[in-house]
Amino acid sequence: MSPKLSLDPSVANHGPTERIEKIKARFLATTPEICAERAKLITESYKETEGKPMSIRRAKALEKILMGMSIYIEDDELIVGNQCSMPRSAPVYPEFSCEWLEAELDRLAKRTADVFLISEDVKQTLRNDVFPYWKGKTNQEIATALMKQEAIDAGNAVVYTVGNYYFNGVGHISANYGKVMREGLNAVIAEAEKAKEKFDFADAHQMKSLHFLESTIIANKAVIAFANRYADEAERLAAAEKDATRKAELLEIARICRKVPAQPAETFPEAVQSFWFIHLVIQLESNGHSISPMRFDQYCYPFYEASKGSLPAEKAQELLDLMWLKLNGLNKVRDENSTMAFAGYPMFMNIIVGGQDREGKDATNELSLMLLQAAANTKLYAPSLSVRIHEGTADVLYMKSAEVSRMGLGVPAYFNDRTIIPALLSRGLTLEDARDYGIIGCVEPQVGGKTEGWHDAAFFNMAKVIELTLNNGYDVRIGMQVGPQTGTVTEMKTFDDVMTAYSKQMEYFVGLMCHADNMVDLAHGQNVPLPFLSSLVEDCIGRGKSLQEGGAIYNFSGPQGVGVANAGDALTAIKKLCFDEKAISLPELKEILDKDFEGAEEIRQMLINRAPKYGNDDDYADEIAVESANIYCREVNKYHNPRGGQFQPGLYPASANVPFGGVVEATPDGRKKGTPLADGVSPIGGFDISGPTATVNSVAKLDHEVTSNGTLLNQKFHPNAVKGNEGLRNLIAITETYFKNGGFHVQYNVIDRNTLLEAQKKPDDYRSLVVRVAGYSAFFTALDKSLQDDIISRTEQVF
Amino acid sequence: MNWREKVLDFDHIGERGEDFRGLVFDIQKFAIHDGGGIRTLVFLKGCPLQCHWCSNPESLSAKPEVIFVSNNCIACNKCVDICAAGALRQPDATQSGLIIDRNLCTLCGQCAKFCYAGAINIIGRYLSVPELMKIIERDRKFYDQSNGGVTFSGGEPTAQPEFLLAALAEARRRGIHTAIETSSFVARDIFVSILQNVDLVLTDIKHMDDAEHKRLTGVSNQLILDNLLTISRLGIPLRIRLPLIPGLNDSAQNLEETADFVQQLKTLQSLDILPYHRLGEMKWRQLGMEYQLSGLAPNTELEVDRIGRLFTERGITVSIGG
Repeated sequence: MSPKLSLDPSVANHGPTERIEKIKARFLATTPEICAERAKLITESYKETEGKPMSIRRAKALEKILMGMSIYIEDDELIVGNQCSMPRSAPVYPEFSCEWLEAELDRLAKRTADVFLISEDVKQTLRNDVFPYWKGKTNQEIATALMKQEAIDAGNAVVYTVGNYYFNGVGHISANYGKVMREGLNAVIAEAEKAKEKFDFADAHQMKSLHFLESTIIANKAVIAFANRYADEAERLAAAEKDATRKAELLEIARICRKVPAQPAETFPEAVQSFWFIHLVIQLESNGHSISPMRFDQYCYPFYEASKGSLPAEKAQELLDLMWLKLNGLNKVRDENSTMAFAGYPMFMNIIVGGQDREGKDATNELSLMLLQAAANTKLYAPSLSVRIHEGTADVLYMKSAEVSRMGLGVPAYFNDRTIIPALLSRGLTLEDARDYGIIGCVEPQVGGKTEGWHDAAFFNMAKVIELTLNNGYDVRIGMQVGPQTGTVTEMKTFDDVMTAYSKQMEYFVGLMCHADNMVDLAHGQNVPLPFLSSLVEDCIGRGKSLQEGGAIYNFSGPQGVGVANAGDALTAIKKLCFDEKAISLPELKEILDKDFEGAEEIRQMLINRAPKYGNDDDYADEIAVESANIYCREVNKYHNPRGGQFQPGLYPASANVPFGGVVEATPDGRKKGTPLADGVSPIGGFDISGPTATVNSVAKLDHEVTSNGTLLNQKFHPNAVKGNEGLRNLIAITETYFKNGGFHVQYNVIDRNTLLEAQKKPDDYRSLVVRVAGYSAFFTALDKSLQDDIISRTEQVF
Repeated sequence: MNWREKVLDFDHIGERGEDFRGLVFDIQKFAIHDGGGIRTLVFLKGCPLQCHWCSNPESLSAKPEVIFVSNNCIACNKCVDICAAGALRQPDATQSGLIIDRNLCTLCGQCAKFCYAGAINIIGRYLSVPELMKIIERDRKFYDQSNGGVTFSGGEPTAQPEFLLAALAEARRRGIHTAIETSSFVARDIFVSILQNVDLVLTDIKHMDDAEHKRLTGVSNQLILDNLLTISRLGIPLRIRLPLIPGLNDSAQNLEETADFVQQLKTLQSLDILPYHRLGEMKWRQLGMEYQLSGLAPNTELEVDRIGRLFTERGITVSIGG
């Protein structure tokens, strides 16, 4: 039997040290700012390298940034490496897009979400030294020039948005961190040198590969030099340091930074520092988010094991906690519109623990538990922490995960090997690679170090398609015919007519979305190849091709459907009330929707309360929701990207469900104009009134294998429902049952006092919130205010 | 078949049908405080007791009945127009809400059918055992995963003995763990036949003094206490539930006597202290009935813990809240 079965959970019982608390307090007291250093350096570099091959220009620009940017080591730090001239600040990446930044420069400190301070000096630098150079040269402008007008129009109507990679780098990647820990960047450079021998400079295409390989060498050497700058800085600080303990720490930092990432790491602290340099530089090279460390408990384990004898468990835990704090320090500035979809400075860096190894055995180890503890110790929003579950998941991992879930931090997210491994096999991964998957960003699976997954290629507004179906393709908000004419409501005599029109609209818009994605994709390949990142993803060096041009072994594009529950429930209400029961005709319903239910609250209540709803284990509603999702997925599956990969659908929203709802008229699910859509594959908030088991049964009816880019289910519990050991067991039972029935991902939130206060104010959104007391049951929103107050005052108690 | 479908069927409310049916007023999935694991809780309507603190007053009557939730009312007045029996009227302009003459109501269900906002409703639906089983089976996988099952509660489940027996026997036949949540106020021979099909009994001790018991619940505790001993004698696992009502049954003497009695029960798993809560209060009003404990303050957490210790000191396993 595996020795891991006797894994001692006490290895992960170490709370945060004083060092952690100090650094965390400093972090929380810091308001993010904009830093212009990167923007200034890259602009200078681009001016210097005009006319050179693009890959070389990119590598030279990275070198200039790494050599020229301010570096510092903060008090108490043991892991070093900063993204900006000030902590928690965000650099600017003008090569991707900067028109919006120029327009919003004075709004950054005033906007409501994700505020960034910005000094007048920084504004001056950006206005004088940066923005003028990039006019017409940004990746966004080049991508726009490639797109069909119809695709731009549909984007303006917000049927979809390809905004993520349109304005930013792609990110959504996991580099081969383990390889760097094991072999060092010198080995990568040697590999690139060797690969050059394969290519013939007389062949024009192969010459391009030679340029690319040269660019990876420049970039890797720059990263090694960057690490050495920290060694110098640590030595300088050590020389001036009075405190003997800190002095020794600084000298140790200097020693480590001289060694890694150039050479192989040999100890746990060296491996963690090596990881951090790689992760940091990938984020400096491009501003794509969701750069995900993935299976840190696996690739870092040999180093943990090597240090076990010499490094006490609490010191190892502290290093992981420090890494957590470092990850929280990375930041990104987005345009104001995007902050509504991505609020809370999110970077979506996903670390996943547990699951199977490449041979199919349980992979849980001490680090798996300690990483969960790091989330509990730091209690900050990053990184996203996930846990893989399979038949053989160690009970200690399941229990530790449930304990962290119960803390109400929203982590970990649970992923189902039993669904995801077959889903990845169906997309052409080898069995070993499929078993070795990790998660990118929110819920997107791929094998790290081998994949360019473009997982957030676009968000697609499924509720908007319902609206356009009822409006014969005409968008009333922007006053334009954006879709095909598929029939007016008076022409729809049967429910099948409605479904046919919905399918045709879907076919048209998914096609346009994939076109738009592909044009953005082409632009990335031409304008913003990433030599350093490419050198750490197989098989870019071997193929002599950047990641952006198809160098990876696996290539995908994954656009997400948002609002499955709204599309499903809207169609269900039409079928049930307009056709089955004839309680209202479709043209009458349409008229009421056009007026946003003005004067027809009663009809809205009928739509809500007399039509079955997805999420209640009611086959009538669930089957229609499944079909409305399948129509989307089938269309997405038809397309291919310019990197030689396939499109694969997902069903999750990040937080796009809020702005997407903002542009959709009233819908037949009873949703008022402009209000948010349902999140992920979750039922509409307040409509899942049959409890979590029914929700889980409903959601499991979706085909979670075809949605191989991920689905997302959020579940909320009152603390009372998860109290004690039995509460943890019940949480595990819900997860297990969902997963045995084909679920993909689930994540738990424990309701706090604030949620209940919110529910008092917005009862419609919280109709499903149940108060669970022995022998009694009521919905929270059905209680009198005084009783609600009573419950609110008792929420944080456990009885 | 699911419960909501049944609830939305307003056209057959009064029909008991030809096959034997039970009157159910709610089915709650993911019940987690009522017998271990994840359970489905089936609430049967009708109770021979009338406890002042009852948190499910809609369970008391053995007939379907009208309930009005003023929070949900959108004042469309459709119910008043639709009521053929003239049982509904609007209060005068100075009052909001609805006046229901429950004597005139024929339970035709039409007011509720067209009350889309869910303000007016008819509590109670007749279900056959096969219909009920279809609902229960939907969460089968959760029971298996969590060592859960089905719990019949009320009202008083044993007040519909034939239906309860048939449902329990069928659940057992299907390998589903069965529990009942009962007052144990039921004739001994009927109780014994029910107990043959039960894996776990959850039953109350409301007061040890017979006169007080009568005053608080309307019935004597003799039969109840005898039945509790019977459960134990039959070797059926048992959890005693002590609804803790400040000033009514939390005297030192009553708690001592309760502990003395509980110690005789050989199959006792635990004593569950259920602290008084006011969550049922508004339901009394919605049913047009008076709540006798208005203004009664629940025990503080400290008091509940202190009382819990009285039992644990005697070696009784205690859980707070079930």
